[in-house]
Amino acid sequence: MSTNLDGRVALVTGAAQGMGAAHARRLAAAGATVAVNDIRDSAELSALADDIGGVSVAGDVSDPAECGRIAADVVQATGRLDVLVANHAYMTMAPLLDHDDTDWWKVVDTNLGGTFFLIQAVLPHMRAAGAGRIVVISSEWGITGWPEATAYAASKSGLISLVKTLGRELAPERIIVNAVAPGVTDTPQLQVDADAAGVELDDMHRRYASSIPLGRIGLPDEVAAAVELLADFDVEAVVGQVISCNGGSTRSRA
Amino acid sequence: MSDRPVALVTGGASGIGAAVVEALAGRGFVVGCLDLGAAVDGPDHSVAVDVSDPAAVVAAVAQIRDLLGPIGAVVTSAGYYEMAPVADIGADAWRRMLRVHLGGLVNVARATLPDLIDRRGALVAVASELAVGGGDEDAHYAAAKGAIIGFVRSLSVEVAGRGVRVNCVAPGPTDTPLLAADSPWRADDYLSTLPLRRLATPREVARCVEYLVCDATFSVGEVVNVNSGAVI
Repeated sequence: MSTNLDGRVALVTGAAQGMGAAHARRLAAAGATVAVNDIRDSAELSALADDIGGVSVAGDVSDPAECGRIAADVVQATGRLDVLVANHAYMTMAPLLDHDDTDWWKVVDTNLGGTFFLIQAVLPHMRAAGAGRIVVISSEWGITGWPEATAYAASKSGLISLVKTLGRELAPERIIVNAVAPGVTDTPQLQVDADAAGVELDDMHRRYASSIPLGRIGLPDEVAAAVELLADFDVEAVVGQVISCNGGSTRSRA
Repeated sequence: MSDRPVALVTGGASGIGAAVVEALAGRGFVVGCLDLGAAVDGPDHSVAVDVSDPAAVVAAVAQIRDLLGPIGAVVTSAGYYEMAPVADIGADAWRRMLRVHLGGLVNVARATLPDLIDRRGALVAVASELAVGGGDEDAHYAAAKGAIIGFVRSLSVEVAGRGVRVNCVAPGPTDTPLLAADSPWRADDYLSTLPLRRLATPREVARCVEYLVCDATFSVGEVVNVNSGAVI
């Protein structure tokens, strides 16, 4: 009973690398035509689109007008839009009083606002098709909070409430909205964390793994597996939920 | 014995359990069943057993293991549903509810854990939406299912370091034989309160179980709610 997305079109944001690229590959392997978005055109984004037989639709989702343009471009290129995977994210951290106000709001307006306006943009197309799947990538920190991550955690927990609300609001139309909350995952972001901590990447991996019950960090494709489940049109009854992929980190300390 | 991985499903003769048997067979598992009732067609081998009886479970698991091989995946779906006002829940009804749901899980977990550790396997328990949200006249059922979630979250941390993943699904009202034709959960005025406006199906629950057994390789102690939006 594996997921069959033949004939479906999916839009994955933040797809140039890391988890977004894994989601795009996984949905394409399930049969979907995948439109991959990132903030700007790049060789990586084009290569991914070519590799999975999809299209690339670059654009800055923190701009509501761009969200509309991106959705329209997907439909123009492929004829429909069935699945949205809102994976884009912008993250900076700072103690509350030190966090630059403009940058603080850029985190929220990109992560929470961008997803909101993207959902507005894709909704008419899902309504036209009579069904849809919206998978929002939240974060472990959206559940637990984290020191010096007020903007990021607020944006990611805001996404959880958005998903719960739209799960209720849109399920009667068979447009199913859910979230995935990844824990520490092996993506290019970890190099940023390592640089910030002044340690080598391997050491950063070990530090994170030591506090995870499974004893390791996650892989992008392990998060993509949850995205695939929530994009499955044979499953409607999972509504407004948050699936965690974190090796047990929110359950208990290792 | 075959080279295929072996799964054990309790309550596999009907409802969610039967759908899980089909889903896991579809993912390449040889499936053994423990069920109160007689053997059924779906699984590769069935043993009639009351999962609340620890010694009987040990014997039944040994029988499945001898026939099919070491067990790499376990799904505990055996259970029953009854409603009653709390004052009417007698000691026997209370005890039976806990022994079947929580006891069934504990007995099967104990009997299979050595295999699961050897094979870095997975266990998925079937809890309930009522464990998460509670329900009127559901005190003993909700308490038993809630205990399953506490057990799963604790066991998951205990064995995660040895590569075993323990998770659960919490189905909402599902269209199974457990739900009587005159059940209030089938009434239109209840269904209209669900965001999805209908009961979950055994196949939908089984798909989520399949995900947790086969694909959720970085999830432990997780509760996947498949409830048509009843509890969000």
